[in-house]
Amino acid sequence: MSKLVVKSLTRRFGGLVAVDNLDFELGNGEIVGIIGPNGAGKTTLINLISGICMPTSGSILFDDKDITLTPAHIRSRMGIGRTFQLIHPLENLSLIENIMTGFLFSQGENKKKARLRAEDLCALMNLTDTGREISQLNILEMKKMEIAHALATGPSILFLDEVMAGLNSDETKEIIKIAKKIASSHNMAIGVVEHVMGVIKELTERVIVLDSGKLIAKGVYEEVSKDPKVITAYLGGAA
Amino acid sequence: MIKYWKYILIAIILLLGVLFPFYAGAYQQSIARTVLIYLVLAISWDMLLRSGQLSFGMAGLFGIGSYASVLLLLRLGASPMLSILGAGLVAFVVAALLGILVLRLRAMYFAITTLAIGEIFRIIIRNWSSFTGGPEGAILPNIIFDGDPVLSYWLVLGLALLAIVLSVIFQKTRIYFALTAIRNNEVVAKSSGINIFKYLVIVFAITSALQGMAGGVFAQTYGFVTPESSFSADYILLPIAMALLGGIYGTLGPIIGTVLLGVLAEYLKLYIPYGHLIVYGIIIICIIMFMPQGIVGVVRSKIIRREVG
Amino acid sequence: MAERILKRPLYIIVGLLSAAVIVLLLFWKPTVVVYGVQRAGLYAGIALPMALILGIVHIVNLAHGEFMITAAYITYFLCNSFGMSPFAALVPVVIVMFLLGMLIFKFTIKHTLKAPELNQLILTFGLAMVLTQGLNLIATSQPRKISLDFVTSSATVGETTFGTYGFIYDLAAVLILAGLLFFLRKTKFGKAAVAVGQNPRGARIIGIDVNKIYILVFSLAIALTGIMGVLFLTSQSIFPLAGGSYTMKSFCLVAMAGMGSLPGIVFASIGLGIAESFIMSFQGYGGWSNIVFFALIIIVILIKSFKGKR
Ligand SMILES: Nc1ncnc2c1ncn2[C@@H]1O[C@H](COP(=O)(O)OP(=O)(O)OP(=O)(O)O)[C@@H](O)[C@H]1O
Ligand SMILES: [Mg+2]
Repeated sequence: MSKLVVKSLTRRFGGLVAVDNLDFELGNGEIVGIIGPNGAGKTTLINLISGICMPTSGSILFDDKDITLTPAHIRSRMGIGRTFQLIHPLENLSLIENIMTGFLFSQGENKKKARLRAEDLCALMNLTDTGREISQLNILEMKKMEIAHALATGPSILFLDEVMAGLNSDETKEIIKIAKKIASSHNMAIGVVEHVMGVIKELTERVIVLDSGKLIAKGVYEEVSKDPKVITAYLGGAA
Repeated sequence: MIKYWKYILIAIILLLGVLFPFYAGAYQQSIARTVLIYLVLAISWDMLLRSGQLSFGMAGLFGIGSYASVLLLLRLGASPMLSILGAGLVAFVVAALLGILVLRLRAMYFAITTLAIGEIFRIIIRNWSSFTGGPEGAILPNIIFDGDPVLSYWLVLGLALLAIVLSVIFQKTRIYFALTAIRNNEVVAKSSGINIFKYLVIVFAITSALQGMAGGVFAQTYGFVTPESSFSADYILLPIAMALLGGIYGTLGPIIGTVLLGVLAEYLKLYIPYGHLIVYGIIIICIIMFMPQGIVGVVRSKIIRREVG
Repeated sequence: MAERILKRPLYIIVGLLSAAVIVLLLFWKPTVVVYGVQRAGLYAGIALPMALILGIVHIVNLAHGEFMITAAYITYFLCNSFGMSPFAALVPVVIVMFLLGMLIFKFTIKHTLKAPELNQLILTFGLAMVLTQGLNLIATSQPRKISLDFVTSSATVGETTFGTYGFIYDLAAVLILAGLLFFLRKTKFGKAAVAVGQNPRGARIIGIDVNKIYILVFSLAIALTGIMGVLFLTSQSIFPLAGGSYTMKSFCLVAMAGMGSLPGIVFASIGLGIAESFIMSFQGYGGWSNIVFFALIIIVILIKSFKGKR
C-alpha cells in the first residue's frame, strides 16, 4: 500500500506550468530522490503536498484519504513534514522554541513535554546550547534546526528540500548520517530533493526526475542517470 | 534572587495602585482612571499586534462597548456591572464575526477594515435614533456606584489588571508560540500545525472584548455616550503612541508607555487645549522611524550588550 | 487558459448587469444616476493617486484623504486672505502639495521603505493624525465653506432638473486618468516608474534611480490630491476630520479595482457612487449611504480569499 499517492497533479502560475500532470507515489518507509534542473518544479511539488499552495487540478491521497483541499496545518498534524529550501526561521523565538512549535501544535503536546522532547531531538542532532537566539546560529546549525523543526511535527513522510545546499562535505556527511538514523528508527518515508548527486546515490533507493513540471524518468539512480532524456534535461538546464 | 525581588516589586506596585485613592486627591484619581482605561486599550492593541495584525479598531470597539453597556441598562434594565460584561460580550461577538469575514486576508486589508469599524458604527448609531438616541447620544439616569470615586477607581483598576493578567498569559503559554510564529512567518507557522485563522479570530475577539469592556466602564463612570465622543480617534491614537513608546510585543512596554504619556497628556491638555493630539502623531512617527523597539527594547538590548561585551 | 475563459464571461456578465441596472435607474430615478456619476468623479479623482502610490511605491498611504483636506484648507486660506478665486489657487496649491509630498517622503516614508509593512501602515496613520490635528490646531474644528454662485447651476432634461457643477469632478477624474496613463505608457520617466513598480530590484540593476522615482511619484500623487482638494472646497464644506472617510473609500476602490489598476478605479467608483446616491435618494435614509463602501470592502476580501484558495 502506498503512503502517498499523487494523481495527475497540476499547478499553474499564470502562464507557467510549474507542475504538469504529475503522477507519483511514495511507499511506507521508502526514501525517494526527487531531482531535476533548476525551476523543474520540485519545490512546488513539495508545496502542493504539504498544502502551502493549492493545485490547479489533480488530487493527493495520504493514507488513502483525499487531502487535496485539506489546509496545511491539518496536513502537518496528519504526518506530512517538510523543510524549506529557503530557511525562514521564526526569528523572535530561540532555537529550542522554534523546534518546540512542532511538538506544541502538530502533536498537541503541552509546553513542558514539548520542551523535553525538543531537547531530546536537539541531542540527537548534536545541537547544543539550545537557548540561543536564531541570529547566533551558523549555517549547519540552521539546517539542523530546520530538520529538527520538521521532525518535531511527528511526520510519517518527510520532504527534505535541498538541506545540504551550502554545506561542505563533512557537514553533508553529518546530515546524511542523521537522515539515515531517522529513516531507520522511525520507519519514515522520505522525499529528498538535492542537486548533489552523491547524496542522492547514497541516500535513496529510487529517484524520479522532473523537468518543466513533468515527470520524465523514474527508477534506480544508476539507470536513470543514463537516460538520454534526463541528460538533455540537465544539459538544457545548464545551457 | 532577581526573580524574588521582581515579585516583591510587583507586590509593592500593586499595593500602591490599590491604595491610591487613600493618598491621592480627586483630580489625581480622575487622571488615574483615564490612564488605566488607556492602559487596557494599549495592552489589548499590543496583544493582537504580537500576531502581526495591526488593528485600528480600538475606537470602534470602545464605542461599541460604551453604547452596548448604556443601551443594555436603558433598554433592557441590566445592572451597571452586568452591562459592562455585556459590553465585553457584544464587542467579542462583533469582532469574532468581522474576524471570520476578513481575517482570511491580513495585513493592510485587516488594518483598514478595523479602521472603518468606528465609522460604520457611528453611522449606525446616528441613523437608528429610536434605539440609540441618535446624534445627541444617551444619558444614564445614574452613575455607577452612585458616583463613588473610590469604587469607580477600583473598577477601572480591576479591568486594567484583567488586561495585564491576560497579556501575561498570552506571553507564558502556547499562545505566545502561536502568535510569534504567525508574526514571523505564516508559512512556517502553518507547517508547524498552527491554525492561523482560528488563533487570529480568537485573539481579535478577546482583545476586542477588553476594549468593549473599557468602553462600558467608561460610559458607566461618566454616565453618557455620544457618537462623537465615544468613538473618538483619541482611543486609537493614544494607545498606539503609548504602546510604541514603551515598546511593543510585551506586557511591560505598554504599561510604561501608558504611564509616561498618560501623565504627559494632562500637561499637554493644559498648554495646547486645541489639537494637543498632534503630539501623539509626532511621537508615533518619530518612534517608528528612530526607535521601533521602544523604551523596553532599547533598555533590553543595552543590557544584553553589556552581558555579552 | 481555462481560468481566462472563465474570467472573461464573468466580467462581461457583471458589466452587462451593471449597465442594465444603470439603464433601469435612469428611467426610474434619473437623478440617482446623475449624482452617482458626479460622486464617482470625486471618488475616482482621489483614489487614482492612491493607486499610483500603491502600484509603484508599494505603500498604503493612510494619510491620503487627509492630504486632500489639507489642500482644501490651503485653498481656503488663499481665497480668504488674498481674495483669490479657487481656480486661480489651483496652481500654487498643486505646487505646495507637490513640495509637501516631497518633504514628507524624504523625511519620513523613505526611512520605512525597507521596514515591515506594519511599520509603514503605522507611520502613514501617524501622518494622517499629524495632518488632521495640525489643521485642528491652526483652523479649529469649525466647518469652513466658500460660496460660489456658479456651483448651484442646474440643467433640465425632460422633466428632471439636476445640478451640473458636480460634473467638474468627472472632468477632473478623466483628465487625471488620461494624464496618468499617458505619463506611465508614453513618457520615459513613466515607463521607468512602471518598471520600478513591477520589480524594484531589477529596475535598480538596469540603472534606474529607484529612489528618485519613488519620491517623484509620491509627490506627484500628493499634488493630484491637491487638485481634488481645490475642487472639493468649491462645493463642500470642510473640517479637519473630513479626510478620513476618503482615505477609506479610496482604499476600497483600489481594492475593488485590483491593487494598482488605474482604469478599474473608474468603474469601481461609478459602482460606489451610484450605490450611494441610490440610498441617498430615499428620504430620511441618506445617512446609511456611507456604509456601502464597508460592505464592498468585505465583499472584495471574501472574493479575494476564495480565489486564493484554489
Ligand atoms: N509562487 C510562485 N509564483 C510564480 N511562479 C512560481 C512560484 N513558485 C514557483 N514558481 C515558478 O515555478 C517554477 C518551478 O519552481 P520550483 O521552485 O518548484 O523549482 P525547483 O525545481 O524547486 O527549482 P530549484 O532547483 O531552483 O529549487 C519556476 O519557474 C518558478 O519560477
Ligand atoms: Mg526548489
